[in-house]
Amino acid sequence: MRRPPLVIVFLAILLVALGETAGALMSVVRPQIESYARARVAANPVAHGLAGTAEYDLEITSRAVFTAEAGLSFFHVHAEGLGPIILLATTVVATFVPSRRVRGCLYALFTLGGLFPLGYLVYAVAVLEAGRDTGVELAERYVLTPLGSATIVGLLALAVVLAGRRRTTPTG
Amino acid sequence: MTEARPDTWRVPSAWVLLAAIALIACAEVGGASMAQFKLALTRWARGTMLARPATHGLVGVRDVDEQILDEALVKFDAGLRLFHLHAEGMGTIIIVATMVATTVVRAPGLRRAIVVLITVGGAGYPLGYLLWSALIPFAGIEGGKALAERLVWIPFGGAAIVAMWLLTAAVGREIVRR
Repeated sequence: MRRPPLVIVFLAILLVALGETAGALMSVVRPQIESYARARVAANPVAHGLAGTAEYDLEITSRAVFTAEAGLSFFHVHAEGLGPIILLATTVVATFVPSRRVRGCLYALFTLGGLFPLGYLVYAVAVLEAGRDTGVELAERYVLTPLGSATIVGLLALAVVLAGRRRTTPTG
Repeated sequence: MTEARPDTWRVPSAWVLLAAIALIACAEVGGASMAQFKLALTRWARGTMLARPATHGLVGVRDVDEQILDEALVKFDAGLRLFHLHAEGMGTIIIVATMVATTVVRAPGLRRAIVVLITVGGAGYPLGYLLWSALIPFAGIEGGKALAERLVWIPFGGAAIVAMWLLTAAVGREIVRR
């Protein structure tokens, strides 16, 4: 099996390293993350719709903090999962896709797709700064959907190329 | 011996692959066992906790005790699930990372260090979740977590993290060098 360009190998390994480190940090500095998140919600009362009523505000803050922490958790899981997927998919590209131009397009799609987990960091920050629903919507529309789509399109295109190659290559 | 082409992957040693595959197999068996023996495991954990009321802060009031037991059982189950998830994930990461190290890292000492650290760290880390689950009925949620952290998560997880950053730096250096 051929290996993809080193830049893609680097991105995949970096993703896994970031995912592992984020998992450890989430455990070690969890109280600090939570107090930072609560402070950011308090600093953006309009975005979060805080009303000045202790009980109501506490509920709103807790939901926003929970969503931001979920964003970090999703980053950890997706970074560790997507790193190997990008590496394996681009290895298949390097090995089985003969056209240099098609290979380049697929590498570009998978490189973009490899940035998908970073969208969850944007998600976590956006939730705290822009409010829970607005932040989630912003991250999904402008970061997660385009980057996630790049991986999906890349995988579908790779499947089409492999199917076409199988049809034109005599077996046996 | 035939020199491998520079743009082809090199396979890590059979021991490394065996460790990774065994880990994934354990994860799959763990996942299946969790479903198959869920009731028996829950009964065992509950019985063990009831036999140690002081460890779990049980006070003899049904409403209070049931809440405490429920929380501990949720964590007990979560530990098993996290073992299943992390063992499957780390098995794959061991294969991928050692393949990259074997292919890209030129310095033999650094290559060996990365392979050993990611294999030992990656294979050992998920076992911490199994240990945590096993300890919860005996030592409580926090007591079990502290032990698992000290004995498994910090040393083995730390080794895996160090290995991945060493590998990231080595691949980065190789890009600059070319």
